[in-house]
Formats: sequence, C-alpha cells, structure tokens
Amino acid sequence: MVGHRHAPEIHPGIAPRPTLRRRIDQLMRALLPSLFIVFCALVLSAGLGIPGQNELCFGIAASTVFFWSAHRPQSMTPLMTFCVGLVCEVLSFGPPGVFVFSLLVFHGVAHLWRYGLSRISFLFGWALLGGLALVLSLFGWIIACIGTLAMMSPVPSLFQAAVTIGIYPTLSALFAWARRTVADPEQA
Amino acid sequence: MLSIQGRHALAKLMLPFFFVLAIGLIMLGLTRRQAVDSLRMRLADGLTPAYQLLTAPETAFAHLRQTVTGLTDIAGENARLRAENQKLRRWYNVAVALADENAQLKASLHWIPDNAPNFVSGHALRDAGGLYGRSVLLAVGENHNIVPGDVALDASGLLGRVTETGARTVRILMINDDASRIPVMLTASRGNAIMAGDGSPYPRLIYYAQDNRPVEGERVVTGEQPAPDGHEHGAFAGMPGGLVVGTVHYLRPGTPVVVPEASLDHPDIIRVFNYMSADHAGPEAPGRVRLMPPMPVAPELPFVPFQKPTKGQG
Repeated sequence: MVGHRHAPEIHPGIAPRPTLRRRIDQLMRALLPSLFIVFCALVLSAGLGIPGQNELCFGIAASTVFFWSAHRPQSMTPLMTFCVGLVCEVLSFGPPGVFVFSLLVFHGVAHLWRYGLSRISFLFGWALLGGLALVLSLFGWIIACIGTLAMMSPVPSLFQAAVTIGIYPTLSALFAWARRTVADPEQA
Repeated sequence: MLSIQGRHALAKLMLPFFFVLAIGLIMLGLTRRQAVDSLRMRLADGLTPAYQLLTAPETAFAHLRQTVTGLTDIAGENARLRAENQKLRRWYNVAVALADENAQLKASLHWIPDNAPNFVSGHALRDAGGLYGRSVLLAVGENHNIVPGDVALDASGLLGRVTETGARTVRILMINDDASRIPVMLTASRGNAIMAGDGSPYPRLIYYAQDNRPVEGERVVTGEQPAPDGHEHGAFAGMPGGLVVGTVHYLRPGTPVVVPEASLDHPDIIRVFNYMSADHAGPEAPGRVRLMPPMPVAPELPFVPFQKPTKGQG
C-alpha cells in the first residue's frame, strides 16, 4: 500500500477559518468515495453496451468501500455504506438486499481489521478482498436461487468475483492518490 | 447532547443496526419482490432522460463505426447487396402471388379479418435483469397503452413479453430468462410444447408429446394463448399464435432447444404489440345452445320391496 506522510506543519495550532466554503469543501472531500460509487452505479446502469456492467458496478462499489473503510473510515462510515448500497440496489435489478449486505460486510471486515491491513502487504489485503468477493457473490447466487426456486448457473457470480478481484489494484492505486490529494478533508 | 461514551456506543451499534436492515431488505425481496421491482421501475422511469443522454455518445459512435466500416468495404458490400436484391426480387414476386391467392381464398370464405394490432417501437434503454435475470427496459414514450403480457418483437422474431409498465418505460422479460414460459407450436411435427428459458442463449423445449418429438431444424412459432382475465383494461394480455420464435436444435440427444431468431444479446429497436384480438374464445351466447338437464349419476331404480322367495324358485 502506498504510504504517505503529511508535510510538517510550520505553524501548528494555526488553522484556516472554518468558513462555509471550507466546510462544504471538507464535506465534499469526505463524501468523494461515496459520490464516486453513486456516479459509477448511475453510469453503469445505463445501456452502454459494455459487457459485464452489473459485475463491474459491484466490483467498483466493493473495492471502494473496502479501501476507504480500511484507510480512512471517516470517508466511509456505516451510514454512508448503507446509503450507497441502497442507491446501487435501486439502480440494479438483482436480488434485493444482497448489494447492501455485501457492502456492509466489506465495510465491517475492512474496518475491523484496518490496523492489521495497514501492517500486512498489499497482496494479503487483496487476497482478503478476493475471498470476501467470492463468498459474497456466491451468497448472492444462493439468494437468487431461493428467490426463483430454481438452480441457476453460478457462473455470473464467479465472474462478478473475478471482476472485483481484477479491478481492485487499479482502483486502490487511484484511491491512494486521491487520499493524499482530492479526497483529503484536511487539505480543504 | 450525548456523552463521548454514549457516542462511541452508538457508533458501535450503527453497523449491526444496518446489518439488520439489510437482512430485512433481503427478506422483503424474497417475499415481496414485486414491490421492490416496482420501486426500481419507478426510479428507472424517472431516469429515462439521463439514460438517453448517457447512451447518446455510444449510439453516435456506433453509427460512425458503421459508416466507417461500410466505407472500407464498399465494393464487397455493393456486390452482396446486389445479390441479395436479386434474391429478394424473386421472393417479392412469390409473395405477391401468394398474397393474391390468399386474398381470393379469404374472399370466397367471407373471412372476417382480425383487428390490426397496435404497436409501439422503442430503443432498449438498459439491462433490467441484473446478474441472473434476462430483461430489458424499453423507452416507449408517454401515453402508451401497453399492458403486461404484450408481445415484444425485434426485426427477426419474438424477444419476450412485457412484465411491468411505467409512465415512459416498460420492462420486457426475455424469452431466455429463467422465469419465462412461452407456449409454442412446432411447424413440421405440428406438436405443441412450452419454451422455458434457463438463462442460456437457447431456451429449452419442455412438455412436448413423447410420441411426437421436435424435429431438428423445424421452425418454432408461438402457440395461441388467450388472455387469462379477459379484455378488461389493464388485464394481462393474451398472445397470438404464429409469431416467429426460432428453430429447433438438439444440443444433446433428448435435449431440444430453440435457437431464437431475435437478437437476445444486443436488443436495440424493439416493437411491443398489443394484440387485443388474441383471445379467440367464442362469444358468450347462452341462448343458442339448449341447456340439457344434468345427467343423473346413476339411473334411479324402481323401489321393489323385499319379497320372500317362494318355494320352488331357484
């Protein structure tokens, strides 16, 4: 994981005045991961003709929640996770509730093990995300089978897990940069 | 104001609380899926202009690509079109002759034609099936009179049936969805069957007569299905017979499937037909048929009191 250090403050204790503009800026920076998920969900719900749009939407949402819950929980609280999960839920036509539940599990695991995740290498964190993606995709498949009372093919859920695993390194590199720059509320 | 400890306790309770809500949502989805889907439909209906805006560059790019591809192979395309045109001209003559013959036969039979079906054409807006379902959302504009059960066709054949309707959009359940069951007729063997979707590109044929199995390569058309609730406005529509579906193919021995004519992977322009005349059940005419008294279960026998057998009998 890309580590970063803040530049030492020249005048500690002296902070800019909390004007309305600065507060809005801070809020937007804190909400940036959630807004990113909502924007991606909205774009990927349109008929763009990209193969695997639903799977990609889940992959982006899961990777974003996992990264920010582990690295800056203030930018991905349980309330934010639930709200973005609900938005993704109503924009998709999958088994209801599974998207929200999966994002909450990603958030819970990443938040609970955030100190451990910051110590271990990136590969272990990636493996943990992959395991979670696989288990939760299969959970979605089981709920879909129960909902339709039929044995459906598990291939779409396995593909969804594969897309989530595949997209995480790229997104985590992007988020590591965003965490230092555009999504850092302290730089407002 | 809460104390710091209170706030910490509340923060720790938030995640379990949201987990309970999510599990409740899963339960709601399993028991009242229709309610959740209607909410999603309403949202998708409201987002129709946004979706059209988002897909506009993709549509423009597809047109541009088509033009560029056409320009690069203009000579080959020209030759192909000429050959196709000749073939079509031959078929046109055959079709005109058959149409004349058909008109003469119908005139001699005093044939009363069916009402011409109303139809609405629209662009497929987005996928509406999720990971496991096969549905599309179709933009049909306002003031449409489409009802659930109406038939959706593309340029080649049957695509699916309408399941939900919104103010500007309708949701179409494709024929390869796991929940789709369409009555079909096999044109060569004259058999009936049910075409059941299973999520794969080729819907299966089930419930056909074991002594009249589907023949490889024969054409499959829709079987007539009367409207279950009659012609009341908003009732589930019936389906006419004879709409092109596809051809029979055996993936494995004993497993006949239908290779659909319609483009199920990338549906673009779809027509939704409202066949109000699909219900061909006879009109109610109680005066024409004499009502017969119900047949007794067993004919009544005359009551004969028990008589003691006299001597010498038997």
